[in-house]
Amino acid sequence: MSAEGLAFYLIGFLTMGGIYAVLCLALNMQWGFGGLFNAGIAGFYAVGAYTAAILTSAGAASHVGGFDLPIVIGLICAGLLAGITAWGIARVCVRLKADYLAMASIGFAEIIRLVVINEQWLTNGSLGISRIPRPLEMVFSGRQAEIVYVVFVWLLVLLTYVVSQRLSRSPWGLVMRAIRDNDVAADSIGKNVQRFRVEAFVVGSVFMGVAGALSAHYFKFFSPDATEPLLVTFLCWVMLIAGGSGNNRGAIAGALVVWAIWSMTEIITSHLPIEWASRSAYLRMLLIGLFLQVVLQRYRQGLLPERRTTPVQAR
Amino acid sequence: MKLTVLASAVLAIALGSASAYSDEVKVGALMGITGPLANFIPPILNAARLAEKDVNDGGGILGGEKFTLVVVDGQAAAQPSVDAASKLVNLENVAAIMGGLSSGATIASANAVSIPNGVLQVSPTSTSPAMTDMEDNDFLFRIVPSDNYQGQVLAKMVLEEQLSKVAVAYVNNDYGVGIAGTFKAAYESMGGTVTAFEKHEDKKNSYRGELATMASSGAEALVVIAYAGGSGAKIVKQSLENGFFDRFVGTDGLRDDLLIEQIGAEALATTFFSAPTSPDDNPVGEIFHTRFDEEFGEGSDKPFVDQSYDATMLIALAIEKAGTTDRSKVRDALREVANAPGEEVGPGDWKKAVALLADGKDINYEGVSGSHEFDNNGDVAGFIGKFVVDGDSYKQIAIFK
Repeated sequence: MSAEGLAFYLIGFLTMGGIYAVLCLALNMQWGFGGLFNAGIAGFYAVGAYTAAILTSAGAASHVGGFDLPIVIGLICAGLLAGITAWGIARVCVRLKADYLAMASIGFAEIIRLVVINEQWLTNGSLGISRIPRPLEMVFSGRQAEIVYVVFVWLLVLLTYVVSQRLSRSPWGLVMRAIRDNDVAADSIGKNVQRFRVEAFVVGSVFMGVAGALSAHYFKFFSPDATEPLLVTFLCWVMLIAGGSGNNRGAIAGALVVWAIWSMTEIITSHLPIEWASRSAYLRMLLIGLFLQVVLQRYRQGLLPERRTTPVQAR
Repeated sequence: MKLTVLASAVLAIALGSASAYSDEVKVGALMGITGPLANFIPPILNAARLAEKDVNDGGGILGGEKFTLVVVDGQAAAQPSVDAASKLVNLENVAAIMGGLSSGATIASANAVSIPNGVLQVSPTSTSPAMTDMEDNDFLFRIVPSDNYQGQVLAKMVLEEQLSKVAVAYVNNDYGVGIAGTFKAAYESMGGTVTAFEKHEDKKNSYRGELATMASSGAEALVVIAYAGGSGAKIVKQSLENGFFDRFVGTDGLRDDLLIEQIGAEALATTFFSAPTSPDDNPVGEIFHTRFDEEFGEGSDKPFVDQSYDATMLIALAIEKAGTTDRSKVRDALREVANAPGEEVGPGDWKKAVALLADGKDINYEGVSGSHEFDNNGDVAGFIGKFVVDGDSYKQIAIFK
């Protein structure tokens, strides 16, 4: 293994890790600050990914598409459409308390998944959408393009982080925490609990859509198997809880640490003798579970627990 | 922090073990060991191991070096496949990658890893039509025909049977949608009429509703593009029981012994099937299957065993031909060893192939699963056979190329 190889492995690792960081920050806006149990992350992720894919991909005869729009517009629309979807869902279910919201959101995510698989005219069904571009593809190719893309992803991680950080310290963020900790009390001092919850749900989902769009551009191809709930919803929850819900840096740290565990355990297991090849893959799943147990047992509040926030000073 | 220590320990182990053997030639095997394809994996992996063994027993690669497969788990989904391929390319420094089983995993890992890093990737199983016109700088190949191809051949077969009006029932996944779409287009362009075109979900108990609608459309036969174990056998059975259809056309998914068990050979007398096949009476196939079963006890009849062996063997031959593990040179050598002209070599002929290459001769690998002549897109045409029921199994009666 060369140093260059290691560097490019890390670039690939950080690209995927960065996409998960955006997802995790988005979930933090919903669960960390708002206490909204969204178990349908994969649905918003899919909406964002398909929006970006359809708007930016080159033409195809088999489905709607070929608008060939700039990637930035695709990203904005991905966020908007995921947000609008979230608004519709929130109108129906945000009134539901934690675990009921979880059930309802799983249901909606499943509906979105079935729409994606069945509405072939729109998404090309299970065959997926191909020829999705990446930023600055005309200028950079090969390994350079990998570097460009990791920078692009982390710029969006930064943007999401700044937004989330500003929101959490704003008066809006403080109200959200009050609602999370005691919604009756928040209601009694005249806060519109419903509206705040809908807002938190929508804002978080916007960034989940953005994460979906980033994946579509990274793979340059998007098919329903990439919206597998285990790899999106479940993993994202583990990341946030392990990293520290309520803390934005914790969300990013959790995404990177859990993705590292996910990815790097294979470096060990792939060196087992080849007779073990199919067993070692399951061994790896066991290792991942074990690591997560350790993290969750040792750091109950997550790696970086939530801190008391100081509100932004009024100027 | 403890985690950092752990992570660096993991990396150190990897670094240590990676540098322990320097005189070996590594090829990655990107498999979906866990995940939805888990059941298919053991025989597919065994076939790749048999190819590895054949190379090493035949004197090794590149002048006696050890040929090693590095197996990783892509879970048959995009995110883990990209990650796994990145480890193969960047950490294991493999010369080429065999794999990507499901099309989604193959396309994502090729786009995000193999193509930008300039690594040859040969998929043994991915049939998505989208792979044909990918901008892959010629790094992505596959050794199974695209779904487009089987659909076109099937259309030809159906028309040759004087069936000019058919209904199509296909399963709603990439297999069913892919073949059904190209079948319909090809069949209609050749003058046939598709009277009903219905997709269905796998593993339901009853398809009578859909079948009743299709039966009233005036079709002469029902084309079933589905897996026998999933929905195919039920569709045939319920059609016969209710008198919706009495004549069927199937694809490789339906051509399963299970179908004959459930329906009986008499009822299937007029039914015929299309399936990817090997060239005329391929003797190497039988020898290979016997060897496989001797080595592993069973499994030579399982899906994609032949393709997995051939893909691994082709990569090994390309490396030997290139005379180096340089990735672009390996890519350039692949067509030369796979395509005609050249002296024919088959499975188990590793020593002979090495000797021929050493003499500067051109070779042409004729594999277990076909002759593997790559076109400009890295696709193979392959052979599609026409099968009919014969007793309690199937008989091939014609080959289309």
